[in-house]
Amino acid sequence: MTKVKTTGLFLGIIGFCIPLLMNFQGLSLAGHIAMSIFLLAAVFWMFETIPIYSTSILVIFSQVLLLSTEGIIDFSGVAGYDPQSYTQFIGTLANPIIILFLGGFVLADAAVKYDFDKNLTRILLSPFGNRTSTIMLGLMAVTAALSAFMSNTATTAMMITVIIPIIAKMDKGDPARIGIALSVPFAANIGGIATPIGTPPNAVVIAALNQQGLAVAFGSWMLYALPLAIVMLLVAWQVLLRLHPPATEFVALDLDTKLQKSSHAILLYVTFGITVLLWVTEGFHGIKSSIVALLPVVVLTLSSAFSKQDIRKLPWEVLWLIAGGIALGISMKDTGLASWLVGGIAWGDLSSMMVLVVFGAVTLIMSNFLSNTVTASLLIPLALTLVTSGALDGTFGMLLVGLVIALSASFAMILPISTPPNAIAESTGVLKTKHMLLSGSIIGVIGLILVLLLSVFYWPNII
Amino acid sequence: MKHKIYIFVVEDEPEVLDAIVRDLEEFEDIFPIEMADSAEEARDLLSALIDEGHEIGLILCDHVLPGQNGVELLVEMQDKPSTAETRKVLITGQAGLDETVRAVNEADLKHYIAKPWKKQELVETTRKLLTDYVLEQTENPMEFMSVLDSERIADFIRKGRSITDN
Repeated sequence: MTKVKTTGLFLGIIGFCIPLLMNFQGLSLAGHIAMSIFLLAAVFWMFETIPIYSTSILVIFSQVLLLSTEGIIDFSGVAGYDPQSYTQFIGTLANPIIILFLGGFVLADAAVKYDFDKNLTRILLSPFGNRTSTIMLGLMAVTAALSAFMSNTATTAMMITVIIPIIAKMDKGDPARIGIALSVPFAANIGGIATPIGTPPNAVVIAALNQQGLAVAFGSWMLYALPLAIVMLLVAWQVLLRLHPPATEFVALDLDTKLQKSSHAILLYVTFGITVLLWVTEGFHGIKSSIVALLPVVVLTLSSAFSKQDIRKLPWEVLWLIAGGIALGISMKDTGLASWLVGGIAWGDLSSMMVLVVFGAVTLIMSNFLSNTVTASLLIPLALTLVTSGALDGTFGMLLVGLVIALSASFAMILPISTPPNAIAESTGVLKTKHMLLSGSIIGVIGLILVLLLSVFYWPNII
Repeated sequence: MKHKIYIFVVEDEPEVLDAIVRDLEEFEDIFPIEMADSAEEARDLLSALIDEGHEIGLILCDHVLPGQNGVELLVEMQDKPSTAETRKVLITGQAGLDETVRAVNEADLKHYIAKPWKKQELVETTRKLLTDYVLEQTENPMEFMSVLDSERIADFIRKGRSITDN
């Protein structure tokens, strides 16, 4: 175990014990326990003492053990907490948003299995010509579009296989090599914000909003976030072009498309198309996106296009990770911990704009160093409680702060550790961390400013 | 010291050994190169490296050596669990058919490089075999992308077998 992990282990255990040994004024017994779990999870997530998904599982286990009616603590006669059945905590694993992600995973993994992602990329790239700058825009647009529906990591990895031959043919000293190598992970991070299934932080935020009785339709999310994704993509493109101006105007791009034509592959293309169509048109037909998500799962498994082996290879740990984040939010809200925590700060003195600025900036900074999902999981319960306590305006305020947190989390891309796509790009050896640090910082700050501008000028008009 | 994956070269002629190591220098940042001039010395060095917790990703071995010959060394390595997965290459001008067949059958020989070799062949073989090795034997092949076949490693990640969104 490394020093960092060992430190995390000690701090986590100390964090867990503190609330149990102290008596905080105005906080219920259950609130103390929820704080113990929160501190343990926060420290373990930050120090990665154990894998982040294990911490999520530990959260759910601790809640079942310490906060449910079936747990070891008898809350009858104790004021301030009405314990729920343990099914509330383990039920987070079948939360509608988890099912939505499951559908997305099946679709994405099936796309990879039949090389649909690769071939689609080649088809979509062909109109972008052979000028270095427009090819870069094309790469970014395709990456973002795919990562809106597939995992950012898998999309980046796939696009890296596309750009490596391009980069290999360029002159070793051409700065555009660095620009292109950065454009892919940045576009993947940005594309993730565009849909609810684009990236896990969106899931944590949407699930938390659902807990508050606020449903966010697939299409509505896209209406809020897609324009920002498009603008940010153009911003990132221009930033990279200016920092790493291409030395040669044209670049060779070999595109051989071989769309698979087996019946399973065709079934996948059709299922992919219909599912995405039903998702984005949720507002018209009213079928919930998590119900639509069952469609690819059913169709692809019953036809054996997606086999038992494929099911086993799904990234199940990501679902655990999200579920833990959702569960943490539940107990923070139900035990009164969240309102107790935000109650300690004189938020009333802050303008609602200030609240958004604070949450946006804190999210951006934290998620540069931590997992984006973890950042969202830790911040969203506090943010939503703040709204209920009156610092922001009701339902509308919740949605605003939720969007600010989810989107800012995805704009964190200054370091290889900020997101897995950044880590992959850095590993190619084409670029150095300093390149990522500079362009990532500029894009992150512009992203945050745009998010705040949207929360004043755009979202209020369409929500 | 951090756990490393080594390239191992066994060759008795110092000039030839130098030439091989020089041709492989682009890998050296990530895959340190260890050398021996006889099978006996190789055996000691190999067990020392393994005792320190390192792995041998690739061995390039001459056949004609003072004492025990190269093929015997490779077969011996194949029989030990700690070096069974090591990719094995003969780099020689003088291995007869029988011995080469034995190396293929009993030491799972991956490649035969005839002397004099071309740098490109040596580098490409090394890159391919080390890529095979890290894809099969390591949990996070991403860290080797900069010197190995980055396309294959990226494709491996795409298929979701090492890292995912967090």
